[in-house]
Amino acid sequence: MKTCIACGMPMRETADFALGDPAKDYCVHCARPDGTMQSYEEKLTSMSAFIVRNQGLDQGVARTAACRMLAALPAWKDQPGAPL
Amino acid sequence: MKNADPVSRTLRKEATRKLLVETALDQYTLKGITATPTADIARAAGVAHGTVFLHFSTQEALVAAVIEDFGARVTLRLHELVAQQATLRDVLTAHVRCLEEFEGFYTRLVVEGRLLPTSTRTTLLGIQTAISFHLAQAADREAQEGRIAPCPSHLLFNTWLGLVHYYLTNGDLFAPDGSVLHKYGPELVDHLLGLLAPKKE
Ligand SMILES: [Zn+2]
Repeated sequence: MKTCIACGMPMRETADFALGDPAKDYCVHCARPDGTMQSYEEKLTSMSAFIVRNQGLDQGVARTAACRMLAALPAWKDQPGAPL
Repeated sequence: MKNADPVSRTLRKEATRKLLVETALDQYTLKGITATPTADIARAAGVAHGTVFLHFSTQEALVAAVIEDFGARVTLRLHELVAQQATLRDVLTAHVRCLEEFEGFYTRLVVEGRLLPTSTRTTLLGIQTAISFHLAQAADREAQEGRIAPCPSHLLFNTWLGLVHYYLTNGDLFAPDGSVLHKYGPELVDHLLGLLAPKKE
């Protein structure tokens, strides 16, 4: 099973892929409306908001956690903004 | 053995690393993460104590590797168990089943979480992020269909996790001889769904 290089979500059905295209390495949640992959900053912002909305964490803590989670993913390995 | 070719040497190194990670997981489950010395892990794995440090520069590095490996396995299993278009009951039941499979070490992580380095805490948050994603999706759908009363996502998630973690961290009181989730999981799922039932006119 392929997992999204930008957020780690497993992609099981065509609808999970960006633009419904199984050849893509990133998922529907990591794509912009035109199908290109979101930038690191866009993903960091949306992931932090996702954590705040679904788990209720403090905003700053959520952003740091999102930073660390993203740092482990192939798309963002060399991102200078990611803490060690 | 000394003159083994580089490929088999690499394979053997990989195998030893894997053995150490798996043995450490068992030992941590048994005795606690912060309380288990690396010497115990080496002994249980049948390797010299020094071998541990050929693979992991410090004890913290070994703990981090074990937790990271564990997080990846739990998250993958969660995604496997939660079907597409799952109902809220399906998601909760899958969550219980997944945690039951990993109950020993997961409980250690919850109990010792704040004593561990921040980087390892991120792994626990990663697991929660994966399950909260499925839970929010199912809850939003059922709230729209009027099958449950609307409830903010974070409160629904924290109510559920608070319940599950309370039983897990006090497993000695609830199920001294076995899996607390096996014994109480179905009751907890029913209870949460009861709390969320739509209010009658
Ligand atoms: Zn993605």
